[in-house]
Amino acid sequence: MTSCYAHADPGSPGLAWAEVIPEGGGDSSTECQAEKRLRRLGRSLLTWQAALWAGGSLVLITGALAIVLFTGAPSTEAATLPEVTATDITYGPDGARVVVMEYADFQCEACARYLPMLATLRAKYGERVQFVFRFFPLENHRYGMLSAQVAYAASLQGKFWEMHDLLFERQKEWADAADAYPYFEAYAKSLGLDMSRFRNDVRAQTTKDFITRQHAAGSDAGVNHTPWFAVNDTTLVPNDIGDFEALIDAGL
Amino acid sequence: MGRRQRSVRVALVVLALAGFLISFYLTLTHYRHLIPPCYVTSGCESVVTSRYATILGVPLSLIGTVFFVVMFYLGISLLTGHHRVAVRAYDLLAFAGILAAAVLLLLQAVVLRAYCTYCLATEAIALLIWAGSLLVTSSADGGAVDEAD
Repeated sequence: MTSCYAHADPGSPGLAWAEVIPEGGGDSSTECQAEKRLRRLGRSLLTWQAALWAGGSLVLITGALAIVLFTGAPSTEAATLPEVTATDITYGPDGARVVVMEYADFQCEACARYLPMLATLRAKYGERVQFVFRFFPLENHRYGMLSAQVAYAASLQGKFWEMHDLLFERQKEWADAADAYPYFEAYAKSLGLDMSRFRNDVRAQTTKDFITRQHAAGSDAGVNHTPWFAVNDTTLVPNDIGDFEALIDAGL
Repeated sequence: MGRRQRSVRVALVVLALAGFLISFYLTLTHYRHLIPPCYVTSGCESVVTSRYATILGVPLSLIGTVFFVVMFYLGISLLTGHHRVAVRAYDLLAFAGILAAAVLLLLQAVVLRAYCTYCLATEAIALLIWAGSLLVTSSADGGAVDEAD
């Protein structure tokens, strides 16, 4: 059987196959050339495979880094929203230079996550900034509409923001309940509401119509998720309270 | 390896990469305590914050991330040759992946009655990867396994 040997030490790890010569002269040179070609092919394949592994890893790491950098980054966008009217539920002075608007659903967990930020902002800017709440109950939330009716009924007795905070703070206890209404009644009682009036207002058609109108107007303006925030004419997906404050301070 | 086989294997690598990016994003939102907004058309926040989203404190999305990384590198391994062990591991994991995807889909449909777009996307990817793995093993050269390359 013919084999090829190198001039150099055959055991050398750096042995270059291009340098090998056949043992036994030219008779076996064809086989040796074929072997050399095979080895070259093997080496180029190895290089190609290494490049694929390295390139694949690079793509994977680059993708992961991009996600790390952009996940949770705040974003803003210009928007045209329905004007604030006398029927809107507000906190803070009318005609304020800065209006913070929120479309929310009380069963939305992401909305509840923003409650501490908004409570802090109301306390800090409540005398100079107007906060507007608009109902946007989502169909895929079982108690989205009912909780909105409860909040609206509380607003008719001047306790909207108290009920707003309670509904978000205690969302976990009623959102998965078989019947959430007893919880809502308990919140209403704790706020000292006139319960007879509250019950009537919760179920009133005018209450449902008000919420439906706000939802429809929001949809027409492009609202498609909750919470949906805007500071004046700029929509905002905030990451923390600083993102709100930057826009509010710029507007004041 | 034929052109069709190569295309299937490239597609498997790309699918695993897409699955990895989605799962990694969900893992990151979990550890950064971010909740995706509640969209009109889906219930992502309900799914990713449900008690089924973690197993013994480990988010499912993290398990998915590891799964797709392994499938990505196994996919590259299939692309660079036809290693018997890699093919078998790929088949096994692809089957495990489709089983897990089926369970998660049922949980969303029956228990949570809410669908997470990201989760649905990774479940669709798991389905495609499993289908792709069948094509790889049932191919004409699928049985002719080269150990050395």
